[in-house]
Amino acid sequence: MLEPFATMSDEAAWLMSCRELVVGHAGHGLLPPLNLELCPGQLWAVIGKNGSGKTTLLRTLLGMLRPVAGEVVRRPGVRVSYLPQRTTVDDLYPLRARDVVMMGCARGARGILAGRGWGAAADAALAEVQLEGVGPKPFRKLSEGQKQRVLFARLLASEAQIGFLDEPTSAMDQRAQREGLGLLRRLCERRGLCLVVVSHYLGLAEELADRVLWVDRDGPRAESGSPAEVLGAMRASGEAGWM
Amino acid sequence: MDVAPPPGPSAAEPSDAPLPEGLSLDDLRLETEGARPTTSQRTADPHPHGELPRHSELHAEHRPHHAPTFEEFVTGWELGIYRDPVLCAVLAGVALGMLGVFVVLRRAVFVTAAISQAAGLGVALAFLIAGSASAAAPLAGALLLALVASSSLALPAARLRVPREGLLGFAFLASSAGALLVGDRIAAESHDVAAILFGTAVLVRPLDLWLVASAAVLSVVLIGVGHRGLTFVGFDPEGARVQGLPVLTISLVFWCVLALMVAVSTRALGSLPVFALAVLPGMAALSLVEGMKPALLLSGVLGGAVGGLGYLFAFRYEFPVGASQAALCAAVFAVCLLVAWVRRR
Repeated sequence: MLEPFATMSDEAAWLMSCRELVVGHAGHGLLPPLNLELCPGQLWAVIGKNGSGKTTLLRTLLGMLRPVAGEVVRRPGVRVSYLPQRTTVDDLYPLRARDVVMMGCARGARGILAGRGWGAAADAALAEVQLEGVGPKPFRKLSEGQKQRVLFARLLASEAQIGFLDEPTSAMDQRAQREGLGLLRRLCERRGLCLVVVSHYLGLAEELADRVLWVDRDGPRAESGSPAEVLGAMRASGEAGWM
Repeated sequence: MDVAPPPGPSAAEPSDAPLPEGLSLDDLRLETEGARPTTSQRTADPHPHGELPRHSELHAEHRPHHAPTFEEFVTGWELGIYRDPVLCAVLAGVALGMLGVFVVLRRAVFVTAAISQAAGLGVALAFLIAGSASAAAPLAGALLLALVASSSLALPAARLRVPREGLLGFAFLASSAGALLVGDRIAAESHDVAAILFGTAVLVRPLDLWLVASAAVLSVVLIGVGHRGLTFVGFDPEGARVQGLPVLTISLVFWCVLALMVAVSTRALGSLPVFALAVLPGMAALSLVEGMKPALLLSGVLGGAVGGLGYLFAFRYEFPVGASQAALCAAVFAVCLLVAWVRRR
């Protein structure tokens, strides 16, 4: 049986916790209250049709929007990074792939200045996503798959414990999507990262995710659980057709 | 308009430097004049407000007219007459060129136009309110109105149900119309106002040079120190914000420094060349090179070169300075586009 507002793991392990969190705009909640705990090594898939409240939820978890009710608690010292949709990253900038990865190292007010070791961290992160030698190449001239891997490398270079990714594979074909998300899965396990991935790709929820959060403002509903549980519930309610 | 003596030796301070044949120090007095100067345009009191001559007006009154030569330019440089305006144009070109890379990347080209035009209105208003007595008023007016125009970026455009570029268009049009209307009411300084708006000034006051140099140093230091932060904030503002970078502060500092640079440069060079220098070298550099550092360096070099060479071009062919600098900017941009296109083929 699904727990609508499930607690995912024991108290000590979480990096970020949502308690009775209601997300929305101008005091109007979009989704039911949400209780979640994001733990190391977990890959979360956030799924829902267009306009279902996924981005609002993501922005609230990131602190860009105030919760309508409830709270988001971040364990002290936890580092968070965010990769926006590929289409929002501006290709007009004449950046080399290494420059993009080095952005991951920038954190806080000191991030305005370049720090020692950023270049080495960027090279190591590029190697981890199998892009050795791509660093000096212009970012805007890379293939979509390579660009996405460079952004994954940026996430690694940031040494974040939680990474939020907004439709990271939306510009790719299905094969590239599978490869990209498979890489994320491996990074999650290897680095103990907690990744929260918003995606329309059902394969992510079915094959790669540890936990799935399904949101739908029309219900309204916000259900989380194992992939089998949530996808089963979606199919039972006839809501899987949009995927 | 109150004007300090031209830099270097002036009519009141005879120089040891030799003058070209037929050229007296009286000929180097400053005046304000219209579109295409000739010796016949000189009047009994040719410089009531003491500045903004054409190059040809710096030559002998009783000689037959001839195209200015490089030797005459060198002589004028040694006298200090041409040194300060060229230095001013080079410094403004370098700083505006580097700032312009970020202006172009932020797709805010029209912001510079609105700021420079607003600075022009500020100068005109300063003339109207303070008259020609105050040397500081035009700068204060330019800076104030430039900051007001910059702040229009912070208005909640979506709530006002107008696009952001609509607000900038409003700032540009209101400033342009205002400057012309105010200029109409200050006939005594109308040439000066026109010079500031369209960049016909040949000479630059020491104060203006000092201000442009100071603002240019500030701009170059800002970019040298903070270009990574500026790049990250422009490239991916939300990612930068999540990683704790002070996105709003960085953007605010950038726009304020740009407003300062545009304001002091507009006062010294005119709004047309300032707009051109803040946009076209950046676009040219971005079309040619990969990497932010090379783009910033190339844009600064192009801006500085165009600023100085535009002045030389105006001197040699007796064109208005501001228009020459803007036209040279456009030519350089066109050539860079062509080179980039050929290289891609």
